[in-house]
Amino acid sequence: MSVAEQVQKYILENILFSQDVSQLPMDDSFLEKGIIDSTGMLEVIFFLEETFQVKVADDEMVPANLDSVNKIAAYVARKKK
Amino acid sequence: MATPCTLVDGLRAARTKFGSRAAITQQDRVISYDDLWQRINSLAATLRSVGIHSGERVALLVENSGEYVVGYYATLLAGGVAVGLNTASRAPELLRNLRHCEATVLLATPEHPELATLAGNGCVTTIVLTAARKVPLATRSGCQVYGQSLQQICAQVTDQLSWSLNANDPASIIYTSGTTGEPKGVTLSHANLVANTQAVVAYLELSEHDICVNVLPFFYSYGNSVLHSYLWVGASIVLENSLAYPHLVVERMARVRATGFAGVPSTYALLLQRVNFSQYDLQSLRYLTQAGGAMKNELIARVRAAVPQAKLFVMYGQTEATARLTYLPPEMLDQKLGSVGIAVQGVRIEIRCESGQRANAGTLGDVWAQGPNVMLGYWGDAETAVLRDGWLKTGDIGYLDTDGFLYLQGRRSDMIKAGAHRIHPQEIEDVVAQMPGVAEVAVVGVDDEILGQAIKAVVVVDANATLSPLQVQAYCKQQLAAHKIPKFVVMASALPKTASGKVRRVELERGELI
Repeated sequence: MSVAEQVQKYILENILFSQDVSQLPMDDSFLEKGIIDSTGMLEVIFFLEETFQVKVADDEMVPANLDSVNKIAAYVARKKK
Repeated sequence: MATPCTLVDGLRAARTKFGSRAAITQQDRVISYDDLWQRINSLAATLRSVGIHSGERVALLVENSGEYVVGYYATLLAGGVAVGLNTASRAPELLRNLRHCEATVLLATPEHPELATLAGNGCVTTIVLTAARKVPLATRSGCQVYGQSLQQICAQVTDQLSWSLNANDPASIIYTSGTTGEPKGVTLSHANLVANTQAVVAYLELSEHDICVNVLPFFYSYGNSVLHSYLWVGASIVLENSLAYPHLVVERMARVRATGFAGVPSTYALLLQRVNFSQYDLQSLRYLTQAGGAMKNELIARVRAAVPQAKLFVMYGQTEATARLTYLPPEMLDQKLGSVGIAVQGVRIEIRCESGQRANAGTLGDVWAQGPNVMLGYWGDAETAVLRDGWLKTGDIGYLDTDGFLYLQGRRSDMIKAGAHRIHPQEIEDVVAQMPGVAEVAVVGVDDEILGQAIKAVVVVDANATLSPLQVQAYCKQQLAAHKIPKFVVMASALPKTASGKVRRVELERGELI
C-alpha cells in the first residue's frame, strides 16, 4: 500500500468513519471541505510520525504540506529523502 | 446621547466614533465599521422586505465571517430574533432546531453542505449571504441571494426601525445540548446581551485600541460574547476559523499585534503542544481569557509561562446567563488558584443547600445566579424549571470562600465537556439506539489530554446482530455533528446497572465492562 493509500485509509476509518474511498478524493482540501478539525489534524500528525518515522516540525504544519492526502504523501516523501 | 439599550445601539455609537477603523478582518478582507453598518442596514431592509417583523426568528447557518456579523446585527435591527446554528450540525438536527424556533428565514453561506436540504425543505425562506459578486445560482434554486451587487442603503428607514426595539424583547436564541431529544433554546433579550457585554468590557477594560484573534465560534455563547464586547467599544476582531495549524494562529497574533485572545482549555492545550511561543513577538498581548470548563493548574502555569506579560482571566459562565457569571482577577490568580472568581458586574452568586436555604461560606451546595444577563427562559418552555424568582439554578456544585470567591466542585448532570462543546450523553444515546441491531447503549465522557473529555459509547447488540465500532460511528456521522460522534465505541455483552436498573456510568468511564 502506498503512503497516500495508507493516509487515506487512516483518515477514512478514524475521522470520516468510512471504508468508502470515494468519500476522500486524494486532492480534496481538508480545510475547504471541513474534513479535519484541529484535534483531527493532531491525530494525523501522530499517525504520520508513528507510521512513517518522520518528525513533523511545528513550522511544517502548514496547508502546503498537510491539506490533502496527496500533499501529505508528497511531504512524507520529501522528509524520507 | 441616550444609553445604548441594544447591541445595535452600541454598534451605531461605535460606528459614529470609529467608522473608518477595522471591525472584522478575515484573511485579507477588512470590513470597517462604516462598511459593516452599511451592510447591516442593507440586509435589515432586505429582511423587512421578506416579511421579518418584530420577534420573528431568523436562523444563521454561517461560519465566523463578516457575513455572520452582518446577518446577526441585521436581524436585530430588523426587529427579529437571531438564532445562530451550529455549522457542524447535520440536516436532521438543523431541521429540528429550525422547526423548534419556527424560524421564517434562514441566512446561510453558499458552501454549507446541508444548505440544499434545508432550502429545499420549504419551511423557511433562505437567503444566501455572499461576499462574491457571482454566485452559483444554478445550484441554489429557491434561495434569494444577497451579495455586494444587491446592496441597497436604507439607513433612514432602518434607523427608525431600531427605535422600536424593546430592551426586554427576545433578541437571540442559542441552542444547547438538552437532556432529552427536545432542543433547548436559550432565549436572550436585548438587555441580557447588553448587560453581558458591558460586564465583559468592564473587567477586561476593553477599548477601541484592542485587537483580538478569534478562534471561538460565534454561535456559542463564549464567541458570541467576544464578538459583541469588541464591537461595543469599536475594537477589531481578526478571524481565524481553524486551529488545525496552531502556529499560523500564533503567527497571526504576532503579525496583527493582538492585544487579546480567548480560548477554552483545549485551545490552550493545542497551542502549547505544537507552538514554541518564544519564537513570536507577542509583547502587545495584554490579556488572555479562559472559560468553557475548568483548566488544570498545570496548564494554567504553562500558559502563564508561555506568555508571561499577558494577564490570564479565568472565567466561569453559562449560556443561560448569556455567557459570563464570574471572573478571577488576574492579580488574584496565585492567591485563589482553583477559584473561578467573583461575580461580574450586576451579577449575584449564591450557594444554596438542598433545603433551598442559603449556605454559609465554605459549605458546598448548588450554585445559583441572579442578574440582568440571566436568560428569559428556554424557547417554547413556559416553565423553564431552572429559573426561580429571577434566579438561575446553574446545575453546578460549589462553594464561596469567606472573600466571596467561587470554587466549583462538579456538576449535577452527566454533561460531557469536549473542547468548546457541551454534549448531553442522551442526545447521542438516542441516535445510536435507533440503529438497527442495537439493544442498548450508554454514552460517557472519558479523560482526553487535549479535549478535556472525549466521547465513549458502550454498545450492546441484539442477539443475532453483528455491528462494528466503525459502523456505529458511521451511523452517528449521518445524524450528528462531528464533535458528537463517539471517539471510542466499545461493544459489550451488557451494561453495568444498579439494582433499580440505572446504568452505572462511573464503571463505564473507568472501562469496567461485563
